Amino acid sequence: MTLSEKYKELVDIAINNKLSVNDTGKVLRIEGEVDTADIKDKMWEIYKNLDPHFKSNDVVLNVKSKVSAGDKVKVVTRESRLNIRQGPGTDQPIVGKAEKGDIITLINKTNDQWWLVRDNDGEEGYCYSQYLEPVN
Amino acid sequence: MYRINNYNDTINLKLENMKLLRSLSILIMILTIGLGAVSCKKLSDADIQNEAQAALNANPDLSGVMVTVLNKVATITGTVEDEATKSYAESTVAGVENVVSVVNEIVVVPPPPDYSALDNAINAGLADALKDHPKVTATVQDGVITINGEIRERDLQTLMEKLNALNPVQIVNNATVK
Repeated sequence: MTLSEKYKELVDIAINNKLSVNDTGKVLRIEGEVDTADIKDKMWEIYKNLDPHFKSNDVVLNVKSKVSAGDKVKVVTRESRLNIRQGPGTDQPIVGKAEKGDIITLINKTNDQWWLVRDNDGEEGYCYSQYLEPVN
Repeated sequence: MYRINNYNDTINLKLENMKLLRSLSILIMILTIGLGAVSCKKLSDADIQNEAQAALNANPDLSGVMVTVLNKVATITGTVEDEATKSYAESTVAGVENVVSVVNEIVVVPPPPDYSALDNAINAGLADALKDHPKVTATVQDGVITINGEIRERDLQTLMEKLNALNPVQIVNNATVK
């Protein structure tokens, strides 16, 4: 069974959303941008169902949901509050915290990992992008 | 009288013929030597081969290409990094004087990919990605992230999403899932 067959459900949703799909035989790469965070979450759910502990080491799922400066983003930490930092890096001082579930504003995407945001108290700083998800 | 004259005429005619013949053979000899000299220079496969190899050696991209010439047909062998260089080697040799055709037996062997930039980018992002997962360690080589240590099952997907977002070639998960 090829990887494309093994992960057919994932490949189908990827193709429907015009993502790039590349099966090297060793690793199935799915990359690109989807319209909503729901699609991204759905893809991770499918991936997790097919490989519950992510131990097959045969998929790279690099999917981001579309978001632009000025959009609202939701804090999606598991339980803790999200640090807002002075600069883009975990070595930077914490200047504020956002609650889980808070909806805050994206000022700009500094890089893939760090986004500059403004919280509801008007405080600005950098958050780790994996804990932010666009609100559609 | 007539007979004598006739006899002399015959002798004269023979002498003329011999002179003509001698001049002719000298001319032929000169022509033969001359042509031979020119032909020798043009026809030597070894000379053509040297010239073709020199043309190849002049380009560092073609340093892995060898040429042999037989009956003015050049055969090129060796390895290059891409199809364009393979074609370029062929046209370089085809452009050498007296090469009538080129047999291109060059093999294209692409260079191994250089992952150093990707490894640097991944390493730069790894500390932040692992910050909330202190029991996990990670190494990066040739774009492959290998994780070790231990992680709670409920944190695993979060960590995997962070690592996948670093756009690695592969993720090898050797971590113990608790």
